[in-house]
Amino acid sequence: MVNIKNIIFLGLFACLLSQPVQAKLFGAKSFTLDNGLQVVVAENHKAPIVKYMLWYKAGAVDEPNGKGGTAHLLEHLMFRGTSKVSGAMFDDVLKKNGVESNAFTSLDFTAYHHVLDISKLELVMALEADRMENLQITPENFSLERDIVYQERKQVVDNNPSAPFTESYRKILWQEHPYNRSVSGTENEIKSLTLEDVQNFYNGFYSPDNAILVLAGDIDFQTAQVLAQKYYGEIKKRPLAAKAKFSKIKPAMQSKLEMTLPQINTPRLIKTYIAPSFNTDKNAIYDLTVFSKYLGEGETSELYKDLVLKQKKTISVSSSYDYTSRSYGLFSISALPADGVSPQELEQAIDASVQKALREMNIDKINNTKEKMLSGLVYLQDNPFDAADTLGVMSAVGMSVADIENHAEHIKQVKYQDIKETATKMLSQTFVATGILNPKGEN
Amino acid sequence: MPYRRRSKTSGFLSKTLKLVVLLALLGLSGKYLYKQYICFNPDKILSESVLKEKTFAVKPVEVVSPKYKIKAYLIEEKTAPIISFSFMFKGAGRASEDKDKQGISGVTAAMLTEGTRNLTSQEFKEKLENYAIGISFSSGLDDFSGSMITTSEHQEQAYALLKDVLLHPRFAEEDLTRTKLQLQKAFLLQKEHPQSILNLNFAEYLYQDHPYGRNPLGKWEDISKFNAQDLMNFMQTHLSQNNLLIGVSGDISAESLGHVLDNVFGSLPKNTAIGFVRNPEIDFKMADKNIDFAAGGQNITRFAAKGVSRNDEDFYPLYVANHIFGGSGLSSRLSKAAREEKGLTYSIYSYMSLADKSPLLQGGFSSTADKYAEVKNILQQVWNEFGQKGASDEEVKNAKEYLLSSYNLRFASVANLSEILLFMQKDNLGLDFLQKRNTYIQNISTKKVNEAAKKYFTPNGYISVNIGSFAKN
Repeated sequence: MVNIKNIIFLGLFACLLSQPVQAKLFGAKSFTLDNGLQVVVAENHKAPIVKYMLWYKAGAVDEPNGKGGTAHLLEHLMFRGTSKVSGAMFDDVLKKNGVESNAFTSLDFTAYHHVLDISKLELVMALEADRMENLQITPENFSLERDIVYQERKQVVDNNPSAPFTESYRKILWQEHPYNRSVSGTENEIKSLTLEDVQNFYNGFYSPDNAILVLAGDIDFQTAQVLAQKYYGEIKKRPLAAKAKFSKIKPAMQSKLEMTLPQINTPRLIKTYIAPSFNTDKNAIYDLTVFSKYLGEGETSELYKDLVLKQKKTISVSSSYDYTSRSYGLFSISALPADGVSPQELEQAIDASVQKALREMNIDKINNTKEKMLSGLVYLQDNPFDAADTLGVMSAVGMSVADIENHAEHIKQVKYQDIKETATKMLSQTFVATGILNPKGEN
Repeated sequence: MPYRRRSKTSGFLSKTLKLVVLLALLGLSGKYLYKQYICFNPDKILSESVLKEKTFAVKPVEVVSPKYKIKAYLIEEKTAPIISFSFMFKGAGRASEDKDKQGISGVTAAMLTEGTRNLTSQEFKEKLENYAIGISFSSGLDDFSGSMITTSEHQEQAYALLKDVLLHPRFAEEDLTRTKLQLQKAFLLQKEHPQSILNLNFAEYLYQDHPYGRNPLGKWEDISKFNAQDLMNFMQTHLSQNNLLIGVSGDISAESLGHVLDNVFGSLPKNTAIGFVRNPEIDFKMADKNIDFAAGGQNITRFAAKGVSRNDEDFYPLYVANHIFGGSGLSSRLSKAAREEKGLTYSIYSYMSLADKSPLLQGGFSSTADKYAEVKNILQQVWNEFGQKGASDEEVKNAKEYLLSSYNLRFASVANLSEILLFMQKDNLGLDFLQKRNTYIQNISTKKVNEAAKKYFTPNGYISVNIGSFAKN
């Protein structure tokens, strides 16, 4: 039960490479039940297995102020039983049947997932549908799981020597926007959570019309339709609670964080632009996807060639772009300064190098970048478990199956001039935060 | 108004009896109906499920190349037009490095994707990206491994690049300097996170001056001096046809693969000159080492006891025993005792590690300093109790069912498949292993599991290394 923020999508598209453009990305199809539950199915018959994901479109951003960690604690309590199935039974039945189950909470979503032999699918459906409406939280389980998520925060966040930096950086980046939160909640928030907080979140958001079921593997579309109707069809929708309101970010502002931490041995630098996402500006996202690949993804990118190979100011530099969020997206550049180069000097070098890349961008370079992005998309047809992850996060931000399946077409259609404009606008007119983490004894 | 009704009724007793019988019948059928239709009934759901069990049907074959007789295991799999190669040079991993060349295998692995005789590092990487070819190398504790993934369309380019890399790596001065600088940073980053510091100390404490105790990155003093010739020497003495194992999966026929094997691997040297690596000597009596580290949020422990190798007759019994004791999920004994029932930790686990010279039963947990001692006691109690009393029939049955039902999950990607085929060869499991594996599990009795528990979970028979803030006594 870990907290991730859309790591899946980035991993897939950033690392995988491709083949002349194909119509099919996953070959996914979708339907919606009368109660509003959306179901996305991707067939893959390599092995008799399936990945099952249930995404709720509610996460840490939807918690009331001061109640940080509610969504995550609820995620844990979902494994502690319902009025029909005790928590121990839930876990025992899944384990006995060889089902690997887990869940994660992010700022935008909460997702429950299982990988299983296809013959166990109905069992998982029955259990997952049951806990959509019959969750039962006892005071004993509540206090046990609150202790466990406290330990989880200590392990995942506080054991990490750079955590104080990461947490402060998120605050200076997002300011008043709900993305300024820690998914796990702060120590004090976790300790002050009540059973009622968690119950309210469940009642308010775990309704079929606020959820997406993703099935990827050895299942055909018709069977998926029949089974989804059988197990989820009777679940009534509940009135949805008010979701997070996303404040507008003031453009063209900057903030900066510089921190020195005792356990840090080598400095790092990060620059993050609050960027367009699928939900704030659909038209910009493919421009920026291609731009990020051209600028700083991989060891043939412009930043790598200029800053690592030529100027030798850094030993590693990379950019990343994530548009799969309910509010704004993120465009980041991070780097480790070479010995003898201060983070400040590196930051200037990066800014100059980004401008240079923008100036020297031309149609041939962009075509080459697009070629790289398209040539490996066929790999997405391989692993059904990865397919489920990507389909899940993209569907959960509101992308239709057509939006997702047409990825290659979108990339192909991106024009060099548009990339230049969109990137220039993002670099000059959006909010940017710079973070510098220094080892002790340096500044 | 019960009184009025009763007063109107004659033959009250017989009517009541009838009612009682009727109610009892209703009650019984109600209980049946409740159990059958309302209460959660996993067996009923499974028996009525429209999706039935299937076996993973694809069978591996052994391919022997026509010219140089190079062997590989293959699963032809056509779901997607891609091909995955997993290969290793057995015994050429970090433990085989000379004492004054610590890090040579890792540096070589990194440098093998930095160009070839005819292609600069940048030209090589451009080609990989344009053709969507992935080539990577890594040096493990025991073996030196490589992998290649390609689309069917660009497979010829992929084979040519892989061959070129193995025969004519570039090892340019400039690329080597950069790789060293990156490693230098890696040494610094390695000593930041307490878990990573613990891992280094754990290996050192357990193995002392045995090569298994070394830093997995190597030694900076050695690395800083490496030149291209050192890397070439490592390749010539460690990477040969003699210690090469290959697993392939995807869109390729046995016949084509035969020719690819000759073409890509046929020019490698015939034999290696890898030095002998001795077995470490470890006394697995309870020993504890604390490393003081104030900065973390928790104290972290790693523990280890004697384990078994993959081919040992105790392997499967211990595999089942470990699953019950601390295997994946929340229902292991450790997880139930420390996490699910007490909320003292987020994760506590055990697993079997299979290093050639030192198979172990290992595990770990982390907990805040105020709860840490309690978790440590629980570990000790659960360990000792498991060794003395073993597992119940029910536990063994459930563990076996898990291990059987989850079996197919490993066949999700062609890269997983080629990796499995590789390890089937490394561990001499036989070409028919995938067909036989479930029988091996089915044949394990509670008695066998408990004999293994007694033999390996000996009283206080593990070493633990811990990092964090510890109360002084």
